[in-house]
Amino acid sequence: MLFAAPAMLLFATFVLLPLGASVYYAFTYWDGFSAPRWAGFANFARALTDPTFLMSFVHVVLYILATLVFEVSFGLFMAVLLNSDRRGFSLMRGMFFAPVVLSMSAAGVLWKFVLDYRTGLLNSTLRSVGLGDWAQPWLAQPETALLFICIVSGWKYAGFYMVIFFAALRRIPRNLYEAAKLDGANGTQQFFAITLPMLKQNVIVCILLAVTGGFAGFDLFFTMTNGQPFGATEVPATWIIKQAFDQNQIGYGVALTVVLTVVVSVISIAYLKISERGHVTRY
Amino acid sequence: MSRATERPRSAAEWLQFGSAGVIVLVMFYPAIWMVYSAFKSNREIFRTPFALPSEWKWGNLIEAWNVGGLGTLYLNSVFVTVMAVSMCVLFATGAAFAFTRLEFPGRTLMYRVLLVGLLLPPPSVAIALFTQLRDMHLLNTHWALILPGAAWQLAFTTFLMRSYFLSIRPDMEEAARLDGANTWEIFWHVSVPMVWPAMLTMIVLNTIAVWNELLFALLFVTDDAQRTLPVGLVRFSGYHSTNYSLVFAALAITTVPILILYFILQRHVIAGLTATAMD
Repeated sequence: MLFAAPAMLLFATFVLLPLGASVYYAFTYWDGFSAPRWAGFANFARALTDPTFLMSFVHVVLYILATLVFEVSFGLFMAVLLNSDRRGFSLMRGMFFAPVVLSMSAAGVLWKFVLDYRTGLLNSTLRSVGLGDWAQPWLAQPETALLFICIVSGWKYAGFYMVIFFAALRRIPRNLYEAAKLDGANGTQQFFAITLPMLKQNVIVCILLAVTGGFAGFDLFFTMTNGQPFGATEVPATWIIKQAFDQNQIGYGVALTVVLTVVVSVISIAYLKISERGHVTRY
Repeated sequence: MSRATERPRSAAEWLQFGSAGVIVLVMFYPAIWMVYSAFKSNREIFRTPFALPSEWKWGNLIEAWNVGGLGTLYLNSVFVTVMAVSMCVLFATGAAFAFTRLEFPGRTLMYRVLLVGLLLPPPSVAIALFTQLRDMHLLNTHWALILPGAAWQLAFTTFLMRSYFLSIRPDMEEAARLDGANTWEIFWHVSVPMVWPAMLTMIVLNTIAVWNELLFALLFVTDDAQRTLPVGLVRFSGYHSTNYSLVFAALAITTVPILILYFILQRHVIAGLTATAMD
């Protein structure tokens, strides 16, 4: 008991206590300084009619769907492609994973340069191959900003999922593939008949990580666009911070965090329940 | 280990090697571009974005280091990371030890409560935590980052340390107990040496997480002298957004050491991540 005490104490003070306090503050009008005034459900009613807040959930859902493609699926694809004992592959896996250890702020600043309209690497490439007309201010127009944040996120995190899938691939018995080859299955058939079913458990965990991680997404959005242009990349985290710290509406901001917590919890618990039916338990 | 299999490659293997190589190089190129752009003048970055610098300007790095106060940022980041990571890994190991080796009332309940932390997104408490830290007079101190930073890594670290403890049979601890060792001695002299590999992995993974943390660092520390690297970098690039060579230099200074460290410790990073997704 004594050995668990420091951990539980720290966890209770800096995770559970603010979580509990959030629930209380969410029902108050509070600017953070004067005494909180009871507000009932007013903050929640306002949240549900706050168009930016509602749109931020649309954006974050699009972002999560994109991470499933650019991070989880692409990571799986690269794990299969980089699965070889040949010389050079170990180095390539290392390089592919490298962006994961960089900070999101460094990645965001770097990619702002890559996507810069005048001098960016992307537009310079287009111009040098004679496609200068295709050059766009990628992060400054609402149609492409969110897409490119998703791509940068994929650049950063695909390596993470690659490593997880790679380790799992290594544990699939070789003789399954040999048997499949004898039966005349080609590479694609082997992938869908053996690899994917054997990785099912990892896929389930990775999707959960992508979903919970996606809702927490803040760093990249803050660094690259902070909700701009015209709110096209506003996600719950960036909007909450703006409400609470730029507008001094702590009570309202906290209510938004409670909504976010409830949404994430409901989705993850539902997801775990559904995937448990496929006899997978993680917790 | 790979040397043993260097028989001639088939066409399919060359295709695999080639396509993987192209994808990896294209994705890694921005990092290389960032490093050599750090040595160019602004004019060169504009005129010839792909070319190597005609003259390697080491002065850029020195200027960025001085202008951005990167030395202070580095020291702050190192202090916060070392404190938060050692606190988190030590506490988590103790808790995992208690959850797997000791019997006490409320054991399962405590563990369940801790697991809540696995799913919670940090933004969900950011504001309440801010007011709480203010009332505790911790805002603008490094403790505002160390304590919450450690607390938010605890769930994940304890979860993995616990499964590592479960994978080792408790024979050694039981033998030590029969020899008359008390629980404290068993923990330090028997358990910790045994689970040290897992602790090392958790140190590496937590270091990456705490070192890169942005949200809390942005909200809880507004004093320039106390800032950590990620926040400092964002602000620096905001102030000097038109001075490209300076921002590239700051980027290179802050990322290259991390990348080198990663390539040295690669094994531990990857071993740790694989453990995350298993079971």
